[in-house]
Amino acid sequence: MVDGNSGKEGGKEGITRRRFALGMLSASLAGAFGSLLALLKVLAPEKKGGGYATTILPGDVLVYAQGGSAGAPIMASSMKVGDAVLAYPTGKSLNPANLVQLIKLEETAFKPPTDISLTDQGFVAYSAICTHLGCTVSWAASAASPAASFTECYCHNSIFDPAQGAKVMAGPAPVPLAQIGVKVMQDGTLAFASDFDGPIGPQV
Amino acid sequence: MVFKWLDERLELKKFKEKFLSKTFPTHPAFLLGETALFSFVTLVATGIFLGFLYEPSTRLVSLFGAMVPAAYASVVKIDLLPMGLIIRRIHHWSAMIMIAAILAHLLRIYFTASYRKPREINWLVGLSLWGMTMVAAFTGYLLPYSQFSVTATSIAYYVSKSVPWIGDWSSRLLFAGDFPSDGTVPRFFFMHVMLIPATLIGLISLHLLILIKQKHTEPRSNRDRKEAQGGRKLIGIPIWPEQGAISLSFFLFLLFVISLMAAYIPLNPIETYGPPSPGTPVMRPDWYFLVIYGFLKLVPGDLVFTVLGGKITPETIGGVIFPASNFIAYALVPFLDRSKEPQHYMENPLHRPFMTSLGIGAIVFFCMMVVAGYIDVLHITPKAMTVYALVATAAAWSTSYALLRRYNRKRGNNAKA
Repeated sequence: MVDGNSGKEGGKEGITRRRFALGMLSASLAGAFGSLLALLKVLAPEKKGGGYATTILPGDVLVYAQGGSAGAPIMASSMKVGDAVLAYPTGKSLNPANLVQLIKLEETAFKPPTDISLTDQGFVAYSAICTHLGCTVSWAASAASPAASFTECYCHNSIFDPAQGAKVMAGPAPVPLAQIGVKVMQDGTLAFASDFDGPIGPQV
Repeated sequence: MVFKWLDERLELKKFKEKFLSKTFPTHPAFLLGETALFSFVTLVATGIFLGFLYEPSTRLVSLFGAMVPAAYASVVKIDLLPMGLIIRRIHHWSAMIMIAAILAHLLRIYFTASYRKPREINWLVGLSLWGMTMVAAFTGYLLPYSQFSVTATSIAYYVSKSVPWIGDWSSRLLFAGDFPSDGTVPRFFFMHVMLIPATLIGLISLHLLILIKQKHTEPRSNRDRKEAQGGRKLIGIPIWPEQGAISLSFFLFLLFVISLMAAYIPLNPIETYGPPSPGTPVMRPDWYFLVIYGFLKLVPGDLVFTVLGGKITPETIGGVIFPASNFIAYALVPFLDRSKEPQHYMENPLHRPFMTSLGIGAIVFFCMMVVAGYIDVLHITPKAMTVYALVATAAAWSTSYALLRRYNRKRGNNAKA
């Protein structure tokens, strides 16, 4: 302070005109810019019911998710032991939460914590959305020994064992993929038989 | 005539005398920052071309009989235009080279201790430039809206969502809602073509203004020459025309190299990736994200703990805490390795065992993280890779430190940290 009110005199008086003006100016600036913070809320829209909310209902028929026959029902007879495909419930392919990996293993191959009641004739289905960062998992097929095939997310190499309830065998995924019940229908197609038994998508 | 007309109004002669005749020290390493700057210029120029043709929208349009997002279709159409594909590739290659040049420039500054007083501020500005460039590159990933774009952005979305306390809100702010949703492409487009370039231009200007004010660091050898000459301020060549000619020919040479790479080395083949689809093929990010990508692969999935009610997950550790702590560490460098007197000459890295070995250790660590990005093809388990990375880093650090200490003892220096 260089004005006449500085020093001891100013200290006695407590507040000078300059300090008062500065205080008022800072307060109004803080108020003006602070109110802009409300914009941050506008810029971050609320969820639109998105995320990973599955719309699969028991009885929905499984159809191919990709490839030339995308949308066509998967026939149980078309898959042999060690095969896996990506599948959607018919007519509900727009929701990524509905994407599952359908795997055919030996009926005797399943070990806990697989829910064997949710499998049928060696068919087992898990959510295809990696629980790490949301990539779609792939099938690391072993031609030599189909039993040694496993589910792998190619993004950061999380490995899941389909015979053990999609337990995480390696990599950064925090929890197993959720299992969902499937059953073979009389006409040879496959249908969902339950809801997912756990959370799907990245656990964040 | 024109010069006279302009000179009467803008005092060009005075500008030439005062500014263009300033001394610019010469050293090959001083071209690294220029490489970054010229890559940025190339990015802006090619970006303007792409901006005229790109459509920032995910609405479905028909492309060769298939319904694909409009953003994807517009980039496929750019590729089909005469010169379209090569300009898109020049854009992408320039980004790769810009980040490489920034890193090389940063290493030059680090190893020669050019961040010391009075240049701490410019070190921080430089770090911000690096970070901003990475954000620019990242927002650019999404724009073609290919399967690659969506996968990469989706990973970043879940990383940002995993941040404790604020993640849910901050991810919606950054991605304009959940991802994938229709809001993300327009928001990333705005950030990529407007907000981030404007910030970059501001930061580059600040970087250069501080440089002009503080002047360049000089090679050590200049000090003895100066003393012999009776203490001139800087040894070098005038900015114009000498340095100008060097810079201009260097720019043209760089453009030649980038064009050659763009012509012969394909990258980001969006037609091969295709539009977004259910499956996720094996895909790796551009080289400058490989470190984070590799690190994310190594963090074990069960490494979860709770701090103050916030859940710290492997995703947060690999995608946020790791890069952020790196940046904080770099920002602290000039405040930990200080000099009392203003320093205007480059240090010899061989004379600084502690800082140099630290830098070598960091480089080896990052190389190991890049290797970690390839554990799937190398058939290494994440646990084994973690051990290799730590051992290699520790070995590089301690060996280089021991060797440099010995070197300095032999020279008779009492090695300073």
